[in-house]
Amino acid sequence: MDFGSFLSALTLLNIALALFGVVAGTIIGSIPGLTATMAVAVLVPITFSMEPASALILLGAIYTGAIYGGAYAAILLNTPGTPSAIATTFDGYPMAKRGDGDLAVALACFASVFGGLVGALALLFLAPPLASVALAFGPVEYFWLSIFGLSLIASLSSGNLMKGLVGGAFGMLLSTVGVAEISADIRLTFGSQTMIGGFDVVGALIGLYCIPVLIDLCAVPDRHLKVEEGVQKVRIGEAARIAMKSKFNLVRSSVIGTLVGILPGAGGSVAGLVAYSEAKRTAKPEQKFGEGEPDGIIATESANNATVGGGFIPTLVLGIPGTPPDAVILGALLVQGVRTGPSLFQEGGSIVYTFIYGLLIATVLMLPAGLLIGRYAYKSIVTIPKAVLVPAVGFMTIIGTFAIRNSISDVIIMICLGVFGWVVGRFGFAASPIVLGLILGPIAEQGFVQSWTIGAATNNLTGMFFGRPISQAIVAFTLLTLLVPFMIARKQRKAELEAKA
Amino acid sequence: MNNSPVIQGRLGSLIVTAFFFIAGIVALYDTTSYSDTDSQVFPQTVAIGLILFTSISLITQFLKPSESEGFGSGIWWRRALLIVTMLLACAAMPYVGFLPAGAIAFAGGLIAAMHDRWSARTVLVYWGSGIVVMVAFFTLFKFALQVPLP
Repeated sequence: MDFGSFLSALTLLNIALALFGVVAGTIIGSIPGLTATMAVAVLVPITFSMEPASALILLGAIYTGAIYGGAYAAILLNTPGTPSAIATTFDGYPMAKRGDGDLAVALACFASVFGGLVGALALLFLAPPLASVALAFGPVEYFWLSIFGLSLIASLSSGNLMKGLVGGAFGMLLSTVGVAEISADIRLTFGSQTMIGGFDVVGALIGLYCIPVLIDLCAVPDRHLKVEEGVQKVRIGEAARIAMKSKFNLVRSSVIGTLVGILPGAGGSVAGLVAYSEAKRTAKPEQKFGEGEPDGIIATESANNATVGGGFIPTLVLGIPGTPPDAVILGALLVQGVRTGPSLFQEGGSIVYTFIYGLLIATVLMLPAGLLIGRYAYKSIVTIPKAVLVPAVGFMTIIGTFAIRNSISDVIIMICLGVFGWVVGRFGFAASPIVLGLILGPIAEQGFVQSWTIGAATNNLTGMFFGRPISQAIVAFTLLTLLVPFMIARKQRKAELEAKA
Repeated sequence: MNNSPVIQGRLGSLIVTAFFFIAGIVALYDTTSYSDTDSQVFPQTVAIGLILFTSISLITQFLKPSESEGFGSGIWWRRALLIVTMLLACAAMPYVGFLPAGAIAFAGGLIAAMHDRWSARTVLVYWGSGIVVMVAFFTLFKFALQVPLP
């Protein structure tokens, strides 16, 4: 850490690049189908002619902006703009429906900025020791981490755990459709060429979350979002007060996001889900998660933005990308001639520290930029007539899904999944457990198969799955997450019975 | 009292659960054709889990019928029009190109979601804004983001 790097980050060019990156990233991230990875990948070529530190600042700013931008569509359209914003839909859209969309957007901005700052500060002060955490995670830990994420089903199933588990298992099965990564077996396609590429997660997300909303919106003449009379601006002060009140949730979720970001391959969606699960597990009885609880947005948005700084830790220290956008940025760095690895902080210290300060500046700039864009996004969505909004969003779902793999099959699958999600949703099978299964399925499968193979080879399956300390801790947290809702429900029933008596 | 929505909800819930049960059986059968145990073990485990969960869910639904809302109110032709035109757009895309195909989906969605009376002004403004949105996104994706749209 040196003062010279701080001054280098404060040049007019770097600040301008940080602001441009945040704004461009936020806009790209808010479009369903355009992920943070795509936002970074698309803009990588323009960094080739820049100084390495400036290029990194621009890419970091785009990345952090895109992760935040995903919250807009999640809150206002019930469609996660990026997979990182999945859990933002759980409480964001209910808030928007009851007329608090402006508050939700402002809360998301505050939480994202806070989480982004925590992640960037961890990168600044703790990068080398935290990078060793990533190395302590083996396949079995990844397997249990995905199961921990799946335990969120218990809290998402709102009274019907079995239907949630059915949805989760079905989502995991969907994740296995197509060519198996390990042996190239073609699984569950039933001879269909359309299915051979499998279910793309982003396309499935768009289908399962967005299409049911469109089907419901066009079927009834009601307004799409309730508008509070007299409210003209994004409720910044109210959001700041709520965020301050939830400071423990903010800090905890940001730390979770940073730690999950460090784990290669986990990413913002897992971080958001784990943080949401923890926020719900420790919620007060009067907090109604899933029905528009501000703490749900705070947990998800702070965690997913914290993965930005967290993900850079293994990328820069070990040369192992923590998240998919980090992999793209790593490629850009190699083109620039920057060699990542343990010696980077000594040999290329000025570049790294200028970048970290730049990331901090970009995250701070996200506050005014995000609130301003959020205000216009909110006003646009509530004032657009439903007759224009529905076909416009429908068109965006088609173009966004097509853009992922340039495939019409993906668009057809997205629409069919959407109709399927709408039908099963009407009979108590929520989309979220299916999506959870779909996202965590590949991580779980890889960890499961690798652990199984090692355990079988060493003739110690039980020890492999349950004998390692980190695994034991994750299993304990999973059990806690699954059991706490039952214990709370039991306690409430007991209290009600006592009150009646 | 009309209790048909309640019956529809209970019956529909059973049918959907049965669908998942059958999906588990079919998946389990499909895994028998894989050449490698590594690609077999995970879907097999999940399929068994799915069958188990759906079985428990079916039993509990028989004992205590679930209170799902069913299809509820809403105009069916509007829902159908939206989905059919989106699928039609996918089918037409390779032949007519992305923009005209997208226009089919947009037109279907606009008619499906329009509950007010059409006037000359709404026709002009809504269709006009639709064209602007479609051309803007097409330009962004095709030329700025280099997506090879047909």
